[in-house]
Amino acid sequence: MTVLETKGLKKYYGQSESLVKALDGVDLTVNQGEFVSIVGTSGSGKSTLLHMLGGLDYPTEGSVIVDGKDISGLKEDALAIFRRRKIGFVFQSYNLVPVLNVYENIVFPIQLDGNKVDVSYVDQIIKTLGLENKVNSLPSQLSGGQQQRVAIARALAAKPAIILADEPTGNLDSKTSQNVLGLLKVTSRKFEQTIVMITHNEEIAQMADRIIRIEDGKIVTGGSRA
Amino acid sequence: MRRSTLARLEEMLERAIDGTFREEDYDESRLSRLETKWKKYLAMSQLAKRRAEKEQQMTKTLISDISHQTRTPIANILLYAELLQEKEKNPELTPIVENIKSQSEKLDFLIRSLMKASRLESELLLLHPDNQLIRPTLMAAIETVSKEALKKQIGIKLMAEDERACFDRKWTEEAISNLLDNAVKYSPCGSRIRVSVTEYEMFAAVHVQDQGIGIREEEQAQIFERFYRSRDVAGEKGVGIGLYLVREIAGKQGGYVKLKSVYGSGSVFSFYMLKNEMV
Repeated sequence: MTVLETKGLKKYYGQSESLVKALDGVDLTVNQGEFVSIVGTSGSGKSTLLHMLGGLDYPTEGSVIVDGKDISGLKEDALAIFRRRKIGFVFQSYNLVPVLNVYENIVFPIQLDGNKVDVSYVDQIIKTLGLENKVNSLPSQLSGGQQQRVAIARALAAKPAIILADEPTGNLDSKTSQNVLGLLKVTSRKFEQTIVMITHNEEIAQMADRIIRIEDGKIVTGGSRA
Repeated sequence: MRRSTLARLEEMLERAIDGTFREEDYDESRLSRLETKWKKYLAMSQLAKRRAEKEQQMTKTLISDISHQTRTPIANILLYAELLQEKEKNPELTPIVENIKSQSEKLDFLIRSLMKASRLESELLLLHPDNQLIRPTLMAAIETVSKEALKKQIGIKLMAEDERACFDRKWTEEAISNLLDNAVKYSPCGSRIRVSVTEYEMFAAVHVQDQGIGIREEEQAQIFERFYRSRDVAGEKGVGIGLYLVREIAGKQGGYVKLKSVYGSGSVFSFYMLKNEMV
């Protein structure tokens, strides 16, 4: 089942001579439960693509379809709600709320949307990510790897249609990165969670089930499942 | 009135997601009628799901039965081929008998791999991960390929101390043996294979590093798929199920497999296991 699709996606910045084609006709599909990585050098357009997929910016042309809904025409307010309900973000910076403890951080987006917390599901996520002894700690008391695991738990807890991860291990040393990515891979399989990860690092990209390569705003390989 | 109806509708949906939906009351109201229809819809989609699951199970059983039933005749063919080889002295027939034998061996290997795969896939077979030392399992796996390695003058170096992880001993040995078997098969004579262990915060990894032919980048994801065979190894025997098994075994005990390879200068396969018990 397709959960994410783009059709002829274009994003241009500037005009006439200073026109930059950040994305120039991107077609891709991602199926339910897949763990996909998007890899490209800096300036290749991968971050722009992530912003389009997550509804953080509007495309110049083309469409982004998440869970069967074309989001490219949504108004700003609707887009914010869409992001809260359908997308889980994991960034290089962990973006945890410093005054909330680990558990509160994890369930915060669920409560924000006025929903009941699925306690047993959240517990399972916490245990899988090895955070059961840290639920009452504040983010400042955790290591970088642990903070990123909390961010992953927070993204998973809301059961989003997709998790978008932008250089999730950019601030971590290689050994901690391997541990965090391993957990991302294991949780993706265990909770059948669709994950799209953006990275410039080939070795990190290898962790995914499928690698999409992007160069000069175009997909070179891997746009759809072979 | 409208507000409470909406609240009830939201509750109905939440219950359906949890799988605990019950009809509240039966009366002439529209809401009650809607509840009954909702219940009917849920029952129907559950029925369809169960039917699909049953069909899948039947296919799995069929594959497992076929592989099981073909084992005995294949063993017999192998036996008779060997008898024929001993008795038949006509030099014209020798290569033909040889062929019968090698083809039957290939078939035997294929069926055995298929059986392992189907047992792993059917939920009947569960792995039993225990917290234990990694080294003894690695030694046992190395033992299974030592004869072939010796033939090709390949040295295997084991670098493990007292690292522990949570894994099923028998199936993990199978997985590591498969990795080693590949390493020996696809490495040149006189090269070296290194087996080492790294510990991470939540995982322990076994790395099998060879100086073999390496794997093309575009094939690195595909080689773990069932029946995938690289064109680079068309000459070697194999059916493309070994790495698939490795990946399944890793996943079943809460771990994963990673590959790092440079085409032409060797590969490192890493088999990750959880250090603590799976949730």
